[in-house]
Amino acid sequence: MTRHHPDSLSLMDYSAGALSEPHALCIRLHLEKCVHCRSRVDTLNSLGAVMMEQQPDVTVSETSFEQLLARIDEAPAPLQNDAPRLSPLQKLLGDDLNDLPWKRQLPSVSVVDISDRFPDQEERVILQKLAAGGKAPAHTHRGTETTLVLQGAFSDAKGVFNQWDFVVLTDQDVHKPVALGHEDCITLSILSAPLKLTGPFGRLLNPFIT
Amino acid sequence: MPTLEQPPAQGEGRKDPWGALLERVGKHQDKAAYHELFEHFAPRIKYYAISNGIASHAEELVQEVFIAIWRRSSLYDWRKAAASTWIFTIARNQRIDMLRKVQRRSAEMAVETEDLWQIPGEHDDEPVSSLHRLTSERRIRDSLSLLPQDQVTVIAKVYMEHKSHQMVADELDLPLGTVKSRVRLALNKLKVILQDENL
Repeated sequence: MTRHHPDSLSLMDYSAGALSEPHALCIRLHLEKCVHCRSRVDTLNSLGAVMMEQQPDVTVSETSFEQLLARIDEAPAPLQNDAPRLSPLQKLLGDDLNDLPWKRQLPSVSVVDISDRFPDQEERVILQKLAAGGKAPAHTHRGTETTLVLQGAFSDAKGVFNQWDFVVLTDQDVHKPVALGHEDCITLSILSAPLKLTGPFGRLLNPFIT
Repeated sequence: MPTLEQPPAQGEGRKDPWGALLERVGKHQDKAAYHELFEHFAPRIKYYAISNGIASHAEELVQEVFIAIWRRSSLYDWRKAAASTWIFTIARNQRIDMLRKVQRRSAEMAVETEDLWQIPGEHDDEPVSSLHRLTSERRIRDSLSLLPQDQVTVIAKVYMEHKSHQMVADELDLPLGTVKSRVRLALNKLKVILQDENL
């Protein structure tokens, strides 16, 4: 069970289908491991169903059902419960996150920009890897950063974040993460605005964080 | 810590009538049952498309949703979701798909809509333990009827008009914080809120 969850408004936006693909991905991956948030989303999906049912009816074209009957006769056979799907993470990034073209920014920090996997989005989507035991320089965020831990764990002033934990940082948070344990910590982050560095390493990182 | 669901009262959680119809479609390709579902849900799905700003594609969305219902009804499991919830998630996904097709500027997407937004009960190997799923719609209907209209209005805009909280705030000429607190108050009554979230 993860300790850190998406807030209810984000889950409602997710259930309503109002989130961008990168944000939906973060929530979807969290849901896969969090039975509690799955239950919250179940409730929100039911809320969506009730909302849809409470709206006024509009008349559907008279020929609509006939068209359907013609189409289902030609449609592919009904689906059977097929083989397990690849997880969305595997589809996007392959089997091993460590095989990605990581770019080292600092001795303990590497990054891969995966924004191009979401061609219709404006947001910046990156994976960050903090080497086991490594520390990232202190920084704040000009906008918000939504992060999901994909591997390992890190801690900062707000607490400990384990695999599949979800965290949103705002411009109020000074964030100085430390990777915990013996494993590199890999996170998936969506940046709504460039980072702003607060520590002495600022200039080093600046070329990357623009 | 999470808010725990109330266990359903005895006798609740029976199959709803729409779920029984869906099962007839899924198991027997029953076109009469399919027609009953169409009569009930198609006008609502059409309204959903119109309120989501894709009026010119509203009939098309109805068609796509019902084709998906026909093909997927064999996967529907009434123990995992009420029929209208299952149909809502299909309509939502078809709407997202349609917008993605219309707006697509570049080549194929790496992930499909259903990789990001799952249909309840599919590809879902967890044991059937969530009894509350069966009663949640009834509970939500009851709770909604007790909510102040201003809270329901905001929720309806997010679900039916595909609007962010910021857009709802702009449209209703309210501060964003007011919109968010109305939604949180409502979700608190619906037991979606976590106890450690700020109200």
